[in-house]
Formats: sequence, structure tokens, C-alpha cells
Amino acid sequence: MAFRKIDIDALEEDAFGEDEIDFQEIGELRPVADVDAQVNSRAQEVSGNTSGALSTSLQNPPYGAPFHAAKARNTQTVMEVLNSIKVSDVPQLVKSLSPEEQDVLMKYLYAGMATPEQNNSGHLLAWHEKLTEVAGQGCIVRVITDRRTV
Amino acid sequence: MSNTLRPYLNAVRQTLTAAMCLENFSSQVAERHNKPEVEVRASKEVLLNPVVISRNDKERVLIETSVNSLRVSIAIKQADEIERILAHKFTRFLTQRAESFVILRRKPIEGYDISFLITNAHTEQMYKHKLVDFIIQFMEEVDKEISEMKLSLNARARIVSESYLSQT
Repeated sequence: MAFRKIDIDALEEDAFGEDEIDFQEIGELRPVADVDAQVNSRAQEVSGNTSGALSTSLQNPPYGAPFHAAKARNTQTVMEVLNSIKVSDVPQLVKSLSPEEQDVLMKYLYAGMATPEQNNSGHLLAWHEKLTEVAGQGCIVRVITDRRTV
Repeated sequence: MSNTLRPYLNAVRQTLTAAMCLENFSSQVAERHNKPEVEVRASKEVLLNPVVISRNDKERVLIETSVNSLRVSIAIKQADEIERILAHKFTRFLTQRAESFVILRRKPIEGYDISFLITNAHTEQMYKHKLVDFIIQFMEEVDKEISEMKLSLNARARIVSESYLSQT
């Protein structure tokens, strides 16, 4: 579209926007403060106890554009939980998760691997391997296609 | 193979296999055009989430998917200046011969050393598992290749300096 400087298709009324899909799928838009509070209280709850921490940290993750801070916080929480779990316990834990939780976990694994400076990629790769064994490639496809990114 | 390389390559293999579900898709913007959507980025709805798989902060793979094309970008390990030069020369050698590699992209994505662009035409002509194998094999070989080149470069430099200094 070198001859045209303005992208006129973006101005159309039913043009596809990045933000709207998130809320259509969630149903209603939660206030930012609520989400922040929830994520923070979860971080408190999760630190220290290992059993059930993983599935707690994967419940109701913040999706959508306005929740940047909450997303980062929750990613950090999940990473702390993942790091606290020994590699030998991983297969059992992964099996105990529901398919939805497995998808969310896979999203967080990729989110963690995207910032290798902050996270231990080797550990995440081990998680990824175990999770793929259990959940299959469908899990990866759902991460790639899902617009509700973490 | 070292013990962190195997899960890394495994993750890349699984992700690539999962992502490589491409179909023929004409451009929504220009009639009778058919372009790799991951490159033109004209319509957002056909682009999928990009994922990064990293082994450490130097070595990582970026996989960007769209409805009819897939872009794989690889950051090669570069520990020191010599490895950086060797990796640059090596990837340059390959990209200049990109048409013989079919899926190689002529220019890497910013921040990465080499990129591959796989379109639906490629997946129709070639076996999917072989395409994945090719990329995995490339990733395996390139580290080996560069460390070999570094060794032979050092050996050569040593011989050259010895013979130069022993002349007087």
C-alpha cells in the first residue's frame, strides 16, 4: 500500500480491533482496581505454600489491554510458583491440572520464556516438555490462536 | 548433546509442528494478490500470537504465525567477538544464497541472526515434518559449525604467528 499513506480500512466501523475481542469473550469488563487487588492477594496467598499454589495462581488470569500491571504481577507470581517446584514433581502436578489450567499454564510458560533475563529458561523448558507430553500440541495451538494473552 | 539443548530443541520442534497449520489465503486488501500475511501485516485478524522460546538470554527463537505463513527467527549463540564475526559471516553466506534454501528469508528480523519464512506453498510442496526437521537440524549444526570455525581460526592464527615470529 505504498501509494496510500492512510490505512482507510482501519477507519471502518466494523474493523477488527485489538482491544474489543478481549472483553467480548470475558463478558464484562472488570475494574482495574479489582483485578489488581485480586492478583496481589493471590501473590500473598501463594507465597509459602506449594500444594495447590500452582492451580491457585492459574485461576482467572487477567486478560486484556488495561491490565498491564496486573498481567506482569501475575506472570511474576506464576514464575515464582514454577521456580519453587522441583522438576521431579512436575509430571504429576501437570496431570492434576484441568485442561483449561493447562492452557493457561502454557501461556505463562511462553510469557516467561519471552523474558529470559528475568526467568530461568532451562526450568521453563523442562516444564514445557512435561506439559506438552500431557496436554499435546493442541495446547500450544490454543496458546498461539487465543487472543486472550497473558 | 548437552542437557539444556535437548529440551530447547524439543520445545522448538513441538511449537513449530503446532504452528505449521497453513492454508491458502488471498489478500483481503488487494484483489487477486496472495501474500504471506505475516510479512505484510495488513489485516490483524489473520495474525496469531508470536511466541518466543529461549534457552538463555542469547539463544532464542521467535515464531510468528499467520493464516498462510510462518516466520521463524533464530538468535545464534555469540559468546565473544570472534563468534559474533563468524556468525555474521556464516549467516550472510547463507542469506546470499537464499533461493537455494527455499524457505530462508533474505533479511533476518531485527534482534535475530537468521529468519525463515514458510508459506502455505512450501507446506504443500514439502513434507511438514521434514521442514521442521530442517530447521531443528540447522539449529543443531550452526552452533557446532561456529565453534569448529572458531577452533580452526585459532589454530591457524597460532601457526601463522609462530612462523612469523620464528623468521628472524
